[in-house]
Amino acid sequence: MDTKLRKISTHGITKFLAFIIVVLALAALVVQIQYAEYINGNVESLIVDRYIDSEEFYYGEVTNGLYRVAKAIEEGRGEETVKLKYNPNFMYFATDGEKSFGNTSRQDRAYFEQYDEAFFYLENGIWKAGENVKLDIQSEPYYEPISNADIAYLAFTDKFINEKQIAWEESRAVLKPLVTRIAVSGILALMLIIYLIWATGRKSKNRELHLSRIDNVYSDILMVSFIPIIYAWVLVVSDFSFIRSIVSDGIGAMQAFSMVLLGGATAIASTLCGIVLLSLARKVKAGKLLKHSLIFVVLAKIYDFFKSLFDGRRFTGNSLTGSLFKRQWVFIVGSATMVFLTFMFLLVPPLFSIPPILEIMMIYWYVKGNNKTFVDINKGFDDSMGEQMKAERMKIALVTNVSHDLKTPLTSMISYVDLLSKEEDLSPVAKDYVQILSDKTTRLKNIVADLFDLAKSTSGDISMEMETLDIKKLIEQTLGDMEDEVEKAGIPIKTNLPSDPVMIYSDGKKLYRVFQNVLDNALKYSLEGSRIYLELEEDGGDVVATVKNTASYEMNFTEEEILQRFSRGDKARSSEGSGLGLSIAESFTRVCGGKFKIVVDGDLFKVKISFPLSRL
Amino acid sequence: MENIKILVVDDDREIAGAIEKLLALEGYHVVKAYNGFDALEALVSGDIKLILMDVMMPRLDGLSATLKIRESKNIPIIILSAKSEDSDKILGLSMGADDYITKPFNPQELIARVKSQLRRYMHLGDMESVNCSSQIVVGGLCLDTDAKQLKVDGEDVHLTAKEFQILELLMKNKGIVFSAEKIYERVWKASPYSVENTVMVHIRRIREKIEINPKEPNYLKVVWGIGYKIEKN
Repeated sequence: MDTKLRKISTHGITKFLAFIIVVLALAALVVQIQYAEYINGNVESLIVDRYIDSEEFYYGEVTNGLYRVAKAIEEGRGEETVKLKYNPNFMYFATDGEKSFGNTSRQDRAYFEQYDEAFFYLENGIWKAGENVKLDIQSEPYYEPISNADIAYLAFTDKFINEKQIAWEESRAVLKPLVTRIAVSGILALMLIIYLIWATGRKSKNRELHLSRIDNVYSDILMVSFIPIIYAWVLVVSDFSFIRSIVSDGIGAMQAFSMVLLGGATAIASTLCGIVLLSLARKVKAGKLLKHSLIFVVLAKIYDFFKSLFDGRRFTGNSLTGSLFKRQWVFIVGSATMVFLTFMFLLVPPLFSIPPILEIMMIYWYVKGNNKTFVDINKGFDDSMGEQMKAERMKIALVTNVSHDLKTPLTSMISYVDLLSKEEDLSPVAKDYVQILSDKTTRLKNIVADLFDLAKSTSGDISMEMETLDIKKLIEQTLGDMEDEVEKAGIPIKTNLPSDPVMIYSDGKKLYRVFQNVLDNALKYSLEGSRIYLELEEDGGDVVATVKNTASYEMNFTEEEILQRFSRGDKARSSEGSGLGLSIAESFTRVCGGKFKIVVDGDLFKVKISFPLSRL
Repeated sequence: MENIKILVVDDDREIAGAIEKLLALEGYHVVKAYNGFDALEALVSGDIKLILMDVMMPRLDGLSATLKIRESKNIPIIILSAKSEDSDKILGLSMGADDYITKPFNPQELIARVKSQLRRYMHLGDMESVNCSSQIVVGGLCLDTDAKQLKVDGEDVHLTAKEFQILELLMKNKGIVFSAEKIYERVWKASPYSVENTVMVHIRRIREKIEINPKEPNYLKVVWGIGYKIEKN
């Protein structure tokens, strides 16, 4: 279930649909806000129930009225008459102590106070609200200066308030679904954006992060690309503001047209921004937002450059390269100084020739010093090569000498044991002993011979006779050659060889030893009544020979262990064989240019020998 | 055979002693020398019929001694050496030695090789001069194509008809490698189809009859992955 969900959530179509929905939701969001603007709805009506408690009322009507009245009082000082210069929405009465004015016959406070929720009065130079006014009005004159003798009452009639309240509620009725839609669009878009940020770069197939082509753009360039997109969008939006100023209320053809245009522009802008944003999200997830930015790359290049100039850690370990590095450093700094001095001395013409002369001297010192170091380096290189050659020669000489030193006493042993066995007057017990000696010396002889072969092939001091040969034929010849041993062991060898020759470039004699040893091993350690399978097949540009047999014992060793010198298949060592057969086979295969691999699978023992096919 | 003298040259006295006793059991008289110079001296004094020569010896090594001896004498020289590389064998044989035995050797094989060389030298010394058209000679092998007879070091060896034909083909073209298919075509006169095993079995039989050590043949060699040939030498 979990994986299924994951499969769907990371599927390309899901992501594409989500992206489209985000774009549409954002476009709808903007268009609806624009629509709200056109219908002149007041958003405050959604929050504040009563018009009388709204800021709209306070800032639109009250402050205006308080200001106008206070201003009229102040301007009327010293004049014949005082009056308000426009026709107000409210009732008022004001006096400066000498003359008074108002738009109602009543001048007593109690009359105004009956509209207790919209009653305001001026006393002691400060406007105050009536006790039941819920608005939090500023206690201030609203128009300076006001004298303490001034008194004014101001009230909005119920009729006015009720009219406004109806409009207020109408506005709320229109705005409520609109705002809900806007909110839904916004939340939907936000959630889908979060989902897209999570899902981007993931594919249902595996858990790796997949980057797309746009992610090759540097991060900072991507970020900067937000600016022109958003700028263009803002230009489009501000172009429509004139429509708003022309027509105040309602939806006409102009407004409809502008909303379509605005929606389109928003869709395009949000598509572009979305692509950039998701790319950035992928980069963050890949952990290369910073590393893969133009600024970072440029700084890293600059840093590398200076580091390579002045970081001599790699060279100072060796005195020769260390001196080369120091000289280079001095040369760079010196040359830079000379360039600087040249410019300085432009002001003092007689000194102008000094820097070039110094520079030439420095070049001379630099080249001379370097040449000397190069000679030293070459000498050191030759010396170490010579020493290496010497060590190699010594190793080969050692193998040869040890071999000779082992073979000489062995020759005596074999010869005298043979002579001993020919003695006639030996007791039967002594004859048994001589037989054991004979067997063991023979085995020792085989071990020494194998050891010598292995030492030579692994040390690389082995003469090769490489030629193009038919490996299929070689296997058949080996099988023919080993027919007696196969018959004696009683384990049949089933072959599956191609009908055509399979040509490889190798050393036939050594390859014969390889197959002989591998088959010998298989014959020796196969389960009685089982079979050995020998297959030869082409695999790409290679030919692979596989020898498979079922072991007669539990193979509790690894593929590497069996190839280690002297390791024997069964840990209890039997008396025949040197234990080097497979090691020699492996080593010979390698010097012949092939690959030797052992696979242990339960009781199945597999040897795979592969050679590149000869192109002949 | 009491009068046949064999010179054994080896700086290891025990090995020289052992070889002396092994050959003495076969009825040969042995003269010992412990370096190349002693060997040259011993040659002057005695009527030596065969030399067993070690290679790595003080004063004068076996290869140089062989070269020196070949300047004046034609007697068989068998090199005994701990060096077992093909290149060492080729070097020894090219210095004029007749056979090359690697240490440690099988005493029986040593005796067989000694006998083989002696027979070839003493009884068939004039073999090369016969030069009859019906005879093909390679080393100690002498094939009479008319009589359908093979002599190895002068002794008759019985071959089957197919074995004889194979050997004849290879001996007539010594040094040339024949694939199993070609041998089958020429001997069986039939089109070859997976004949490698048939031919290989015959080759093995022939080897057992003509070689002292069939595992390390002197004459009939397998060129692995290509075919079979009779060595030119």
